[in-house]
Amino acid sequence: MSGHSHADGVLPHEPEKATLEGRNKVLGFWLFLGGETVLFGTLFSVFIALRDQVNGGPTANELFSLSVVAAATLILLTSSLTSVFAIQAMHRNQPKAMVNWLLVTILLGLGFLGLEIYEFVEYAHHGHTFAASAFSTSFYSLVGFHGGHVAFGILWISLLIWQVLKRGLTVVTAPKVYIAGLYWHFIDVVWVFIFSVVYLMGKVG
Amino acid sequence: MTAEHAASVEQPKKRARHEGPKKHIIAYIFSLVLTILAFAVVVTGDVSVNFVYVMLVLMAAVQVFIQMAFWMHMKDRGHLYPIIGILSGVIVVFTMIIMAVYWAWW
Amino acid sequence: MAHGSHAVKRYTGIMDWLTTVDHKKIGILYLMAGGFFFLIGGLEAILIRIQLWKPFNNFVSPDTFNELITMHGTTMIFLAVMPVIFGLMNCIVPLQIGARDVAFPFLNALGFWTFFFGGVLLNVSWFLGGAPDAGWTSYVPLASTTFSDGPGVDYYVLGLQISGIGSLLGGINFLVTVINMRAPGMSFMRMPMFTWASFITSLLILLAFPALTVGLVALMFDRIFDGNFFDPSAGGNIMLWQHIFWIFGHPEVYILILPAFGIISEVVSTFSRKRLFGYSSMVFATVLIGFLGFMVWAHHMFTSGLGPVANALFSIATMLIAVPTGIKVFNWLFTLWGGSIKFTSPLLFAVGFIPTFVMGGVTGVMLAAAPGDYQYHDSYFVVAHFHYTIVGGLVSGLFAGVHYWWPKIFGRPLNETLGKLTFWFFIIGFHMTFLVQHFLGLLGMQRRIFTYLDGMGFNEMNLISTIGAMLMGVGVICFVINVIVTSAKPKTATNDPWEDGRTLEWAIASPAPEYNFAQLPLIRGYDAYWKEKREGNKEMQPAEPLGPIHMPSPSILPFIMSIGLFISGFGFIFHQYVVAGAGLAVTLACMFLRSVIEDHGYHIEPEEIQPRGFKA
Repeated sequence: MSGHSHADGVLPHEPEKATLEGRNKVLGFWLFLGGETVLFGTLFSVFIALRDQVNGGPTANELFSLSVVAAATLILLTSSLTSVFAIQAMHRNQPKAMVNWLLVTILLGLGFLGLEIYEFVEYAHHGHTFAASAFSTSFYSLVGFHGGHVAFGILWISLLIWQVLKRGLTVVTAPKVYIAGLYWHFIDVVWVFIFSVVYLMGKVG
Repeated sequence: MTAEHAASVEQPKKRARHEGPKKHIIAYIFSLVLTILAFAVVVTGDVSVNFVYVMLVLMAAVQVFIQMAFWMHMKDRGHLYPIIGILSGVIVVFTMIIMAVYWAWW
Repeated sequence: MAHGSHAVKRYTGIMDWLTTVDHKKIGILYLMAGGFFFLIGGLEAILIRIQLWKPFNNFVSPDTFNELITMHGTTMIFLAVMPVIFGLMNCIVPLQIGARDVAFPFLNALGFWTFFFGGVLLNVSWFLGGAPDAGWTSYVPLASTTFSDGPGVDYYVLGLQISGIGSLLGGINFLVTVINMRAPGMSFMRMPMFTWASFITSLLILLAFPALTVGLVALMFDRIFDGNFFDPSAGGNIMLWQHIFWIFGHPEVYILILPAFGIISEVVSTFSRKRLFGYSSMVFATVLIGFLGFMVWAHHMFTSGLGPVANALFSIATMLIAVPTGIKVFNWLFTLWGGSIKFTSPLLFAVGFIPTFVMGGVTGVMLAAAPGDYQYHDSYFVVAHFHYTIVGGLVSGLFAGVHYWWPKIFGRPLNETLGKLTFWFFIIGFHMTFLVQHFLGLLGMQRRIFTYLDGMGFNEMNLISTIGAMLMGVGVICFVINVIVTSAKPKTATNDPWEDGRTLEWAIASPAPEYNFAQLPLIRGYDAYWKEKREGNKEMQPAEPLGPIHMPSPSILPFIMSIGLFISGFGFIFHQYVVAGAGLAVTLACMFLRSVIEDHGYHIEPEEIQPRGFKA
């Protein structure tokens, strides 16, 4: 249909919005993010209610290492910036640059995940396991859900990189990349609240 | 459907202005500064707990606002419904958080 | 163009139904499945009433009774009325806004199949380990493994989780459809009320279901993975479940009733031959009800120890909802007043709805007074209230909508005589069943208990209630007979079989052709079709020239994805994690295929479009 509107071979200016399907996908994804806001908000509310219930185990203050959290935050924040660069490259119709920035993004994402896994293993050694207390269950649920979202995002963006390399940047692949970018920004937004409410507030007591 | 077809064929003829990376890098720097400030407030540890909580939440909110406005283009035109979607989610979450805070800490 | 040249996949027979992404067929699937589960839920209700017709009855065991009340509530809300609502939304909303399909046809199909398999999973429990028995609200600690160590509650958790995915997808779909795909000239304030109601309902679904998702995940983690959300011995909190559940649960009941309000507006206006009174205030009231619905959840928890301040706030917020609801009721009455009224079966159901729902609403205001609720809570007074709103209200509204739109969906009108019989048996039976339950509650009869003592003054009213339930059953049977008898008739409905159609769906053939509109129509006002009729036009003015119409391709992937989730659910319920993983892998593989296989659909060429677009 209008997937082939670039009759003269030129990709439209904002290719993710050039078709009805593209506009639908972008809007639909924003609304999905509204639902995700409620999902993470509920997990946050649960965490807030249960954060003091350590059941005799280690407290947040004793457990958390701010240097690891700072490093993870920096990595994820930077990856959000590189995903912006990717979309800008897409708008300038530069698929190679876009793919390179996306690769950097997922590498940084993998770094974030690696740090988080290392962190969780450390906590487990200190007795902070999933089943240890209400605090630990809600901690791993909230932070783990976020980590799961990061992992899914890495897989998704990898798949999209492969699709763009194979089929090029079109009015069909562009909306997919754009919404993956929105997704990646969103998980950084959630992380801002996680490091503030879970880690920093935990450290203060 | 066919009307869409016609409209999108016209577009490539316009010489489009592309947004540079400058605004986004500034947003990045703001986010970085807010993050560092947040960590700093906690590490100094000299101030009252409630003050720290309020500061952390405020700084987080500002950082999120900057990231959503610039990186997610919420400040750009054509984002009315995304704003409504996210805002309604925020309102629901706000109600829940108030209840959780009231319940856990009052 | 090159892409029209790939082989057009067109299936027939059962494969057509398994692979369809057409909103009209998906709507029919929802109606059929919802109707089927409605019969199951109705059977469960009859069994409950038989057990309760006399004191100390032993028709079913106490445990079975608990399973019956749990499954009756869960089935009716999630597997019966919500799918019928989605069915009507699917069949009608795109037609009302002049669109050719919903925004995401593939996701639409996925939404149906996940709902369906979630419902199957939930009901398989009867045969494989025992149905959930902790109530449709599944409160902890009863629902924790300490007190419910069979698989019943796990079926509840996983079945609803899977079904809930379908609802969420449907909500997003309709939001985007209404925002982006209205025909030229259809501004928001020219949309029919059913579309408005569907739109606000979809927003409520988007915002409420994620809370349920988190609650179900938390319960699953506690039950299956030794989590501690709700385990006080490890610092968990029982009240947490109640908060999370009702943050979802209260908006859920507005999700149920708002579409019915939309239907009533359509039916009342059509069969009074009169424009809806106070359209703008109707829209405003709908939005306000939706918003306030998120602010009142703790009125289900007045007796749980929140304290007087919280109770007072939630009490007042709850009573406020009566205001926009009252606006709606008055607007319907003012629409009827002075209208040229035709008592068709849809209008009968609508007129039955209005006083019945008002009765449910006023008992709701009684319940909203927290001190009063200390007496009513957990008694049959509450049961009476919510059945008045959900059954006397919502289900009547759904019957109205189903009878109203049946000819548009199936090409044949339902039999009017049988429709009226359905109405009279149902409404009389309904009031017999539930009016007495107010008094039973006030006399102190407790809910969710399998029997009651003799000599309490409960006996006669319970007997009346049971007889009423039988009459409702007869009404439902009349409807089922109506459906069967009608399906044998030829498809002779015209585009406007009620002859007074006001909205756009009545401008096209019954049933609508595959592509809905041969040419997207130009909308020149509210009640768009009525406006054209008043100016002497037989049809809508087109907004575009005749051209090839793009259609999405059918796909078997939604069906398979849902089976994957179904299998995964079983794996989690029986702690077989390899099975759970395998099911999820199937679903993920389908998602991968969906992303990677580019299928741009196919075109229907102008030659294939009959003149006036009346080819079925």
